[in-house]
Amino acid sequence: MPRVSVIIPTFDRPSLLPRAVESAMRAGTDVEVIVVDDASIDSTANVCSRLRGIKYIRLDRNQGVAGARNIGLLESTADFIAFLDDDDLRLPGSLDHQLSLFETLPEAGFVAGGVLLGDQHCAPTGKTALVRAERGDLFWKILELSVHLIPSSIVVRKSCFQEVGLFNRQLAGIDDWDLWTRIAEQRPVLIDPAPVCIYRSATPSSKQGSSSLARHLLAAANHQPKLFSLSRVRTAPSAQRRAVRKMTRRRIADTLSWRAAEELPNGAFRFAASNFVTALRLSPAWAMRPTHLQVFWRSTKARFS
Amino acid sequence: MPKISVIIATRNRCYLLPRAIESARLAGGGVEIIVVDDASEDETPSVCATLTDIRYIRTSRQLGVGGARNVGLLSSTAPYISFLDDDDARLPGSFDKQIDALEAAPEAGMIYGRAFYGDEKPSDDFYPEHCPTGDLFWELLRWNFIPCPTVVFRRSCLTRAGILEEDLAGVEDWDLCVRIAELYSTIATDEPVAIWRRPSQSSGQFTSESEKLHQHAHRVHKERWLRLPRAVAASPAERRALQRDFAARASQQLVWEAASNLKARHLPRFARVAFAGARMYPVGVGKKFLAFLTSRLGTETVERT
Repeated sequence: MPRVSVIIPTFDRPSLLPRAVESAMRAGTDVEVIVVDDASIDSTANVCSRLRGIKYIRLDRNQGVAGARNIGLLESTADFIAFLDDDDLRLPGSLDHQLSLFETLPEAGFVAGGVLLGDQHCAPTGKTALVRAERGDLFWKILELSVHLIPSSIVVRKSCFQEVGLFNRQLAGIDDWDLWTRIAEQRPVLIDPAPVCIYRSATPSSKQGSSSLARHLLAAANHQPKLFSLSRVRTAPSAQRRAVRKMTRRRIADTLSWRAAEELPNGAFRFAASNFVTALRLSPAWAMRPTHLQVFWRSTKARFS
Repeated sequence: MPKISVIIATRNRCYLLPRAIESARLAGGGVEIIVVDDASEDETPSVCATLTDIRYIRTSRQLGVGGARNVGLLSSTAPYISFLDDDDARLPGSFDKQIDALEAAPEAGMIYGRAFYGDEKPSDDFYPEHCPTGDLFWELLRWNFIPCPTVVFRRSCLTRAGILEEDLAGVEDWDLCVRIAELYSTIATDEPVAIWRRPSQSSGQFTSESEKLHQHAHRVHKERWLRLPRAVAASPAERRALQRDFAARASQQLVWEAASNLKARHLPRFARVAFAGARMYPVGVGKKFLAFLTSRLGTETVERT
C-alpha cells in the first residue's frame, strides 16, 4: 500500500502536467500519483496516456479544482494525502521529509512546508513565500489569514476528511483555506520552513486562478462569517470574534496593497486599481494609511522614471 | 472485497438506525455498511458501538446529509453504492437483484425501483406508479420520481459525474440523479425494493416543510440543471417547456397539499402553501381555482333549482 497519495487536479495544461507528475514521483518513496483530469478539452488525455505509473481519472463534467480534488480523494488509497497543482512542482524527497514530521507530532492534522516562488516557467526566482516554523493549535491564525497556506506544500492525514468533510465545491479559489480552517479547529498543525515545492507565481496576465487576487480575498472575507459557526468560534467571547474580523480585513488590505505596489512598476494599472478599491472596501482607514500611500506613490514613480 | 457499500447518514435517530442497518444487511451478499454519524447529540455512538460488522464514522460537526454521504463515499471500497436514510429500510434480497441487473447492463449508470410507503409497518401503497427507463434526463428535469433509498449507483459513474453537492439541502439526491442521467442511461426494477417513511407534519424531516423544498428545487432547476450542457444545447422553447412542466407539477402538489391542510383546518399553513403554489405557477393555479369556483357555482345552482 502506498504511503502517500499525491492528487493532481488538471485542466487544459498538457504542457505543464508531465513535469508536475515527474516531480511528484521523485518527491518520495511509495508515492501514488493520481491525476484528475477535470474534463479538459485539449490533448491532456493523450498526454496522460503516455505517462507511466499514474492513476488517471477523467471526469465527464468540469467540477472545478475543489470537485476534482474530492474525486482524487475518493480514489486514493494511502493514509496521507498531498495536493499538487498542475503548474507547481514538488522538490525531490520533500514528501518523505514531511511524512517523517508527522512522527514528531502524531496527532497533527496536516503538515505545511516552505515554498520557493518560481517564475512563469517554474524556475526559482530566489524569493520564498514567508513561512515561519510553528506547531500546535493554529486555528485562530489560519482563520484570520495570518498564516498563508499554499495547497501544494501541504500533506494531510486522510482521516481528517472523515471528521470535517471534503472540499466545498461552491467556494472556488478559497476552498482550500476553508478546509484548512476546519481541520485546524480540530487538530494541531505543524509548519516546517524547509522548502518542499516551487510555486508558479501568478502575474496579473498569466490567467492563473490566483491572478484574480482581489476577488478571492474578497470572497474569503465574505465567507469568514460562515466559518464563525464552528463551535470554537461560537463559544469564544464576541470581542474575540470582532478582533478576528478586524485583523482579517487589515491583513487582506495589506496583502492587496503590497501586491499592487509590486506590480505597478510593470504597468499593471487595472490590477493595482482593483486591489486598491477592494482594500478600501474592506478596511478604509487601514488602506489609506500614509505608509500604504507612500508605497503606491513610489512604485508609480518607478514606472514613469 | 465487498460488492456494495451502503452509506447510512444518520443524525439523532438512534432508535431507528438499527432497523435500517439490519435491513441493509439482509438485502444482499457482500454488503459493506458504512454509518456516518453526522455529529449526533443523542445515544447514536453507544448504539453503534453495540453493532458489529459496520464501519462507523463520526464527523466532528454537522455536515448535512450531502456532506455526510460524501464522507461515507470516501471510505467506501465497493464498486456499487447505495444511500440509505436512517429512517428507511431495504427489502430482503433487493441489492442482489439490482446488482445483477446492473451487471447485465454495462452502459447504465444507476438502477432504481419502487418503494413502499410506510411508517413503522409497510403499507400497500408504493411509489412511483410507473418506472420509466433509458435516457431519463428530460423526465427527471420535470419531476422527481426516483425514491433515493431504492437507487444503486455504479461508483465509477458517480465519481465521473461528480459527488453530492453539500449546499443543496433536501434535493441533493435528485441533483445527483439528474447529473448521472445526463451522462448515462438508467434501468429500473419493477418490484418494490425499499420502505420509505412518508414525511408527515410532525416527523421533523426536512421534507415536512414542503413549500420551502419546492421553492428550493425550483431555484436549483433554473440555476443549475438548466445550465447542464445537454439542457443548454436544447432549444429555448424546449427549455421553457421544461420550466413550465416543472413549475406546473410542483404547484399542483402544493395545491393538493394546501387543500388537505384546509380540510384539517390548519389555516396558516394552508395560506403559506397555497401562496407558494400560486407564486410558482400562477396560470395553472388560477385555472384550478376558477374550475373549483365554477363547479361550486354549478352545484349551487343545481341545488337551487
